Amino acid sequence: MASRPGDSVDLLAAGLGPRAVRDQFAREVSDDAILVRAAQEGDRAAFGRLYERYARMVHGVLLAKVPVSAVDDLLQDVFLRALRRLSTLRESGSFGAWLVTIARNLANDYHRRALPEEPLADDVPDNHLPENDFGRGDHRAGGRTAEHAASAAAILDAIRSLPDAYRETLILRLVEGLTGPEIAARTGLTPGSVRVNLHRGMEQLRAKLRPPASGGQLEQEML
Amino acid sequence: MDTTNNKTDNEPLKNSNDYLWDGSGVPDPEIQKLEALLGGFRHDRPAPLFPEFVPSKRWTFFPWRVRLFAVLSATAAVLFAIAAIIFLTHGTKPSPVAMAGWDVSRMAGTPRIGSTTVRANELPSRLGVGQVLETDDQSRASLRSEGIGQIEMEPSSRLRLLTMGNSLKRIALDRGTIHAFIWAPPGQFVVDTPSAMTVDLGCAYTLQVDDSGSGLVRTSLGWVGFKLNGHESFIPAGAACATRPKVGPGTPYFEDASPEFRTALARFDFEDRTPQQPAADLAIVLAQSRERDALTLWHLLARVDDAQRALVYDRLSQLAPPPAGVTREGILRLDQPMLDVWWNALGFDDIAVWRHWERSWSATNGPERMSGTSAPADK
Repeated sequence: MASRPGDSVDLLAAGLGPRAVRDQFAREVSDDAILVRAAQEGDRAAFGRLYERYARMVHGVLLAKVPVSAVDDLLQDVFLRALRRLSTLRESGSFGAWLVTIARNLANDYHRRALPEEPLADDVPDNHLPENDFGRGDHRAGGRTAEHAASAAAILDAIRSLPDAYRETLILRLVEGLTGPEIAARTGLTPGSVRVNLHRGMEQLRAKLRPPASGGQLEQEML
Repeated sequence: MDTTNNKTDNEPLKNSNDYLWDGSGVPDPEIQKLEALLGGFRHDRPAPLFPEFVPSKRWTFFPWRVRLFAVLSATAAVLFAIAAIIFLTHGTKPSPVAMAGWDVSRMAGTPRIGSTTVRANELPSRLGVGQVLETDDQSRASLRSEGIGQIEMEPSSRLRLLTMGNSLKRIALDRGTIHAFIWAPPGQFVVDTPSAMTVDLGCAYTLQVDDSGSGLVRTSLGWVGFKLNGHESFIPAGAACATRPKVGPGTPYFEDASPEFRTALARFDFEDRTPQQPAADLAIVLAQSRERDALTLWHLLARVDDAQRALVYDRLSQLAPPPAGVTREGILRLDQPMLDVWWNALGFDDIAVWRHWERSWSATNGPERMSGTSAPADK
């Protein structure tokens, strides 16, 4: 496969053998290419498969940039825009990176439209989280009490205050549950970049969650 | 944090990083807690059903934007119908320039598309499907397609554009030399030559075809697949492979192999006609082979008779021990999955890419072009 300069270094930095990452990347790109071509020829089931594969990634990218309450609508917008423009995608193996670009653009458009700019930090009131999130009523791991919901919202805000690269990668890992190799394969980032973003982002998040003196409320609730 | 090199002290950090990276290793309680808390924000809605297949649920799952999409689609369909009527009524044909194709630029001399000369200081000419690009002994040309790649065409070459489909871009090199740098997804770019079909698997390579139709591919990046009538060869970077009309691809070899190795291999592939000569040449190839020549020996497994196959197996096992699950018995009976596993263990590239391409090609071009996928050209 064609490779870019520096990939081998990135792979080593990622702590994975080149074959493991390359195999996963090759499989995903190959599968994507098949699905994209089918979708370009009018196969909506194929587009549905792409949606299933990439919805969490797009959701995470949006969640890093816009209020929780706006994410689901924008998620639909991203895929609708992708569906309309699919015929313009020349490199079907680059679907993931292309989708990320659409998501980031729509998130930026959202902020341009929102005047005055809507702050991210207060979009999740302590006792009123969106229906598809904490407010659904199912009591899965982690508890769904108002206190936990408030903690979760505060942690999400802390992640969103990190630099762009870190916040997006951390949300994809911690919120959407994607692994580092999956993030790399789907966003088009190198594995090394993802690993660095995760590591440094986590360090910065820990620093933000750690109280200046001893045991702030957030850390106490979390740990 | 303790930064000494104490292995025990550092182990939790390593495990923590592994868990953060891919969920492996000892779970980090802090990260697990974050995952549990933040998991509530995770997207977990099922995929919407797309309109064409479940019309009754169309408006349930999609907002007004999809209705707008449907309206736009209907409008586009009407416009298309009008255009089709106009086209049929007036009997006009689309200009080749407007059709899908490659942009051609002159590099030297006077390359020609059909009878039209590609001139300097002009916008690139377009090579459309069905058209021929030729260079004389003084001319060179460059072809470029944004979605596929770039090709440089040497003097005295003749190239035809066969298809420009979404999933297959195909040209024919009748004679001459091209240097291709392809960025289309693996398997999409195919070059027909008189003696083999060259399948790009993500690479840069040079392909030569002489007047007799014999060919040679030399790969400089990635890998290439060569195929004809059931013979197939995989050529990774640094390797080369010849083809002959009516025979197909020979056995690939690394270009830094010894001259004796290469000469014997060429005779084995294309010249040996007496019963004894193949065995003699094979003995030279096996004796001269180095570790990286496992590339050649792996291909030979499927190109020799049963007795010779045991010899090739033994030598290949010395150079590159078979991985777990690959047995001598399986290889001697040419068990394809075992052959594939062994190929992958050689470290060149993942043969699954090729197998996937084979299935796609077979599905769209008919099984008669794909008979015998393991090159059973016994001597």
